[in-house]
Amino acid sequence: MNETRRTFLGGLAGAGALALAGDATRALAQDKPEAAPPGTIPNDAIKKEKAAAMQYHSERPLTGSVPAHEHDFDVTPSDRMFVRNNLLTPDVNAVQHRLTVKGLVDKELVFTMEQLRTAFPVVTLQGMLECAGSGRTSFNPRPSGTPWSPTGGMGCPKWTGVRLADVLRAAGLKPGAAHVAGQGVDPGMIATAPAVIRSVPLTKALEENTLIAWGMNDAPLPKVHGYPLRLVVPGWVGSASTKWLATLTVIDAPFKGTYMTGSYVQPKWPVEPGQKMPAETVSTEAWPVKSMITSPAPNARFKGTDRIVVRGRAWVGEGSIDQVQVSVDEGRSWQRATLGPAGDRFAWRTFTFDYQPQRFGYHTFLARAWDDRGNGQPVESAWNPLGYFWNGVHRVGVQVVA
Amino acid sequence: MRDLAAAALAITAMLSAAHAQDPDKLTSGPGSTLTTQKCQICHELGHVTRSRLSRGEWADNLKNMRERGAPLSDAEIDVIVGYLAAYYGREPAPAPAPDTLTARSDDPIAKLLADNGCTACHDVTKKLIGPAFREVAQKYAGDSGAAARLAAKMRAGGDGVWGSVPMPPNAGLSEADAKRLAAWVLGQK
Repeated sequence: MNETRRTFLGGLAGAGALALAGDATRALAQDKPEAAPPGTIPNDAIKKEKAAAMQYHSERPLTGSVPAHEHDFDVTPSDRMFVRNNLLTPDVNAVQHRLTVKGLVDKELVFTMEQLRTAFPVVTLQGMLECAGSGRTSFNPRPSGTPWSPTGGMGCPKWTGVRLADVLRAAGLKPGAAHVAGQGVDPGMIATAPAVIRSVPLTKALEENTLIAWGMNDAPLPKVHGYPLRLVVPGWVGSASTKWLATLTVIDAPFKGTYMTGSYVQPKWPVEPGQKMPAETVSTEAWPVKSMITSPAPNARFKGTDRIVVRGRAWVGEGSIDQVQVSVDEGRSWQRATLGPAGDRFAWRTFTFDYQPQRFGYHTFLARAWDDRGNGQPVESAWNPLGYFWNGVHRVGVQVVA
Repeated sequence: MRDLAAAALAITAMLSAAHAQDPDKLTSGPGSTLTTQKCQICHELGHVTRSRLSRGEWADNLKNMRERGAPLSDAEIDVIVGYLAAYYGREPAPAPAPDTLTARSDDPIAKLLADNGCTACHDVTKKLIGPAFREVAQKYAGDSGAAARLAAKMRAGGDGVWGSVPMPPNAGLSEADAKRLAAWVLGQK
């Protein structure tokens, strides 16, 4: 974590817009094929900036991710970060962009990008974002929604911005403040589409790793990832991390819109697989403990004398990773993997496991992480109608040949 | 002869399997036109064709889509849920069938409008997703080439002359029917 402290007054007085001229030029240079509605970025232009390993699930809205074996990085490169839009990708002018903080605050605040950059300590930290539906295809029967693979729809890049807590304290919270709702400027396909608004409780909003970010991996946010500004609520379902952030509203209860009550909810009490959503629901928040094997790739081939290094990543939405275990006998017995250094609180943690094959043929590796509260990954996650929070043990098979 | 019949059956099965697997086309059945038109206002049909849900889940899904802005009446939701539960349900789907549910009128123009899903986005006097037919008629009044251009656009799709939402293509609409509809639309001023 690194910080740069500048004065609030200095930031407001400085003519900060010039510092953004480079970003603006970049925005003007963007390709704009005619197919995309005015004010939006065409998918083709977005895909040009993404890795060839990206697998796309839909165009309207754009969704895509890389498979587990393409995630073998300690810090997720920007071109491998998953894409999950609810609406279209807006083409935002950073110089004209404003962030408004309103609602249950002592004074309403409006920031330019430069004012935000200079008014508060600047923080860089690594943090996990994962779509609530990541792993949906593993549920049986399969629920409706983006068909993410068991390890699709996630990533753990570095983010740069200011703490949401600092901005909220500058505005001053009024008594009764309970939730903070983020709203972006992404437009829908039709005028009747409501804005994507998600709210998080104050405890998470004030947590020091929750950011208003403009940077991703030491560069401006890519357009599809929220340029010029987004929330980063690490460890929680990705939808909490509003992209193209323009408005923060402090409210006295969870926001009541469709993206809070119709989507991103789970049954309050578990239901039999295949049942519809019951009347009583709870909002999805922090991800349970999860891990994936990022190397070797499925069906990789090894010579019989080769040692195999199994490597992967483990994370949890609240708490920390306590240990990761690997099984080479389909879960009959488990051995401890070696954990890499612990980084930022909501960063994933690398693990490795050395294995010497004793025979030829097909071998499988299973990974199972445990958090510091004693929660381990299940063999299979509890079914729910919208297919959220799949965190079943990850399994990869390889070939050992003569 | 028996071999021939078996071969014909196999080819039919292959064709229907190929049809069922086209991710951008719904299986033809009662309600498929309305479902196609409504769903593809906002998203490609792959979101539908990859899913197999119970009636209750489809009903929840349509309710959610309406909350997200989809222009759907209760009656339309009934037709669409009925169609999706039958053809994209958890049970094996019935064979493709003619889509008859949306055609409920003896008036040939009303039937064309309904059969081709025009009324999912257009009304005669009110702006819905697309412009009112009256607005179109008024905009092109006195333009002698308008009928041909409009007919072509009905079949090929539009590019958002009236707003940010492009009109989806209707390749199934014949040239002759498109011309009849264009002439009728231009007469609504």
